[in-house]
Amino acid sequence: MTTAVSRVGDDGMVASPARRVGKLHREGLAAYLFLSPALLFFCVFLILPFIFAIVLAFSDWGGFDLSTLKWAGFSNFGDVLSFDGTFVKPILVNTLLFAFGSVFLATFGSVLVAYCIDRLSFQGFWRVLYFLPVVATVVAIGNVWKMMYQPAGLINAVLNKLGVNSVGFLSDSSYALPAVTVVHAWASIGGAVLILTAGLKAIPEMYYEAAEVDGANSWHTFWSITLPLLRPAVLFVLITQFIGGLQSFALIIVMTGDGGPVNATNVAAFEMYQRAFKFGAWGTASAMAMVLFVIILAITLLQLWIARRRGEETS
Amino acid sequence: MRIARCLRLAVVLGLLATSAACGGGSDAGSGGKVELTLLSHYSDGPSKDGLDKMIAEWNKDNPKIQVKAQVVKFDDLLTTMTVRQTGGRGADIVSAYGLWGGQLMKANVVAKVPDDIATKIKAEYSPAALGAVTTGDTLLGYPTELNTYVLFYNKKILAAAGITKPPTTWAELADDAKKTVKRDAKGNIQVEGLSLIQDGDNKSVHPFLSLLDSAGGTFLGTDGTPQFDNDQGKAALKFEGDLAAAKASNTSISPTKQFRSGGVAMAIQAGWWIGSLKTQMKDKYASDVGVTAIPGPTPGSKGSLAYGFFMGVNQRSKHADEAWKFLTWLNEHKASGGDVTETGKWLADQGLIPPRTADQAEYKKSLSDPNLAPIYDAATYAMAEPNQPGAYEAKTALHNAIMTVLADGKNPDDALAQAAKAVKPQ
Repeated sequence: MTTAVSRVGDDGMVASPARRVGKLHREGLAAYLFLSPALLFFCVFLILPFIFAIVLAFSDWGGFDLSTLKWAGFSNFGDVLSFDGTFVKPILVNTLLFAFGSVFLATFGSVLVAYCIDRLSFQGFWRVLYFLPVVATVVAIGNVWKMMYQPAGLINAVLNKLGVNSVGFLSDSSYALPAVTVVHAWASIGGAVLILTAGLKAIPEMYYEAAEVDGANSWHTFWSITLPLLRPAVLFVLITQFIGGLQSFALIIVMTGDGGPVNATNVAAFEMYQRAFKFGAWGTASAMAMVLFVIILAITLLQLWIARRRGEETS
Repeated sequence: MRIARCLRLAVVLGLLATSAACGGGSDAGSGGKVELTLLSHYSDGPSKDGLDKMIAEWNKDNPKIQVKAQVVKFDDLLTTMTVRQTGGRGADIVSAYGLWGGQLMKANVVAKVPDDIATKIKAEYSPAALGAVTTGDTLLGYPTELNTYVLFYNKKILAAAGITKPPTTWAELADDAKKTVKRDAKGNIQVEGLSLIQDGDNKSVHPFLSLLDSAGGTFLGTDGTPQFDNDQGKAALKFEGDLAAAKASNTSISPTKQFRSGGVAMAIQAGWWIGSLKTQMKDKYASDVGVTAIPGPTPGSKGSLAYGFFMGVNQRSKHADEAWKFLTWLNEHKASGGDVTETGKWLADQGLIPPRTADQAEYKKSLSDPNLAPIYDAATYAMAEPNQPGAYEAKTALHNAIMTVLADGKNPDDALAQAAKAVKPQ
């Protein structure tokens, strides 16, 4: 007997529950089949390495031979988080300064540049111009800036002309981290400008017209209309730049080679690389990766929480 | 049920992955022919040409054991070894820096040298060369490159400062450095008095260890414990710190770039530098460049550091016997019409010290360049660079400590104490 749960199918026939479940099952299978290449990629290149890194963080392993892997408990975390070591200070402190510094400079710079570009002619040209550093390789950017920072380089030549003695931008431990941070921020501005320009374009023109009618000046318009409505784009830029800043180390390798002088530019990602590939201390390197993972997760969640409290759309 | 099946599948996949990673490092060719792979950093110039020539010679005479060279730049060598070995694709024969020996041994990368070959190597190679490629009591392979540290000086700069002979004590070295340093009105260094860094990894350590050796100190004990935080170490680092404070030495100046153009008066550098200077300075090399032993704190004392490379066999090689057979031939066969081995000649032609005692003696008899004499002499007294597991980390900790003194003016005693604390014997 046909019950009320039966319904009419697309072809006008009444589908039985069994047939409907079978169809759903087939559709589910087909969906998983289509998703399988992406899921396989995700598992092989993200999930498995992540699980392996967790295992390594609790192990003593010198690389090369999996049979030499030994359980080490929490000792790697003890070494990494010890205040006698170098990871917490200066490396983690450097990492946070580098990330916060470059995020601040890049976000501030990109908002300024995007706002200016939005008011200029030939906007495409300006966007391309600011996007060029993103296209250039880190090696090229790092080497060009390294030359400019040299004692006989362009920047010191300008300082000398102004009557200031040469500064060892990359050899003086007081200047090295700010010098590298500026370059990282400069190189990141292009990508952020594109996102922010798109955000600016999405702000309805009527708000500006209303503000003009009310007699608002440029600063009031920017502060009260542009910036609040640009906040979702700024938040996206902040999060991506910050994660990029915490994970970045290629620029540092190019510009200071070994994270020097005196660990002044040594950051967590670079230290992990050194520990694993130079010293064969994969356990300690993985423990550092876990600590960095937790820090990135915590800061990202904090950023999202703050944004949601202000009613921003973040998903 | 489904979970159990998934778990079984995961275990099978894991085992497959593990077995792939533990696979042999080389492939056997068809028809009983064995193909050995040799991974090294001899990637260009005379080093590559010389090794390729010897391999071609071997391959011609040994059709059943063919050797194939695989090369990467030195900076990529350890990473390449790590990645390939972990992925089960390690080379049968590895050429490695002695410093890495301990960690390669701990990770089961290098195979034990067969007793008969080890006995011959220990009898026929110089103590400095053996020390640089021996971890504890374990010899890692055939010593190949051997380098010692000496003091390079620019004769013309010293003469212009009224200095008639190279320094023989730390006091003279410091005086000469202060006399030769030149700065412009803006404080930019025109000529550095004494360079205390070298290019490459942990750039401040080798010159410091040479000075430490000249004062009678050592770097690490045989168990990996720090030995440098003592009077000799403090004296050596104070000597360096005083020169940096007097602005006679500056870590931002690269001697390998600026010595050739007269931007550095003296530099503590490895012997291999001679080859580069000859190429870069051409005719000016003979008239401008002098080499002498690194002086110690007292008259007559001197010191140096010796570091080396070795060629060993991969523990996972399926053809270890053939690999040792090839290595024995490579290191023992004589150069045509000469009294030295072809490997010794290959190294000496690049300005390096042949590690075999007989080759060294033969070359010392007729050194074409007087600057080579102090470099060869140093092989008889230099401190061998330690290479037990953890030595590389210890070296990095020491480098950071030295740089806090040279670049930041930190107290040498505090810096050494901090470095000693960071050294973790393994």
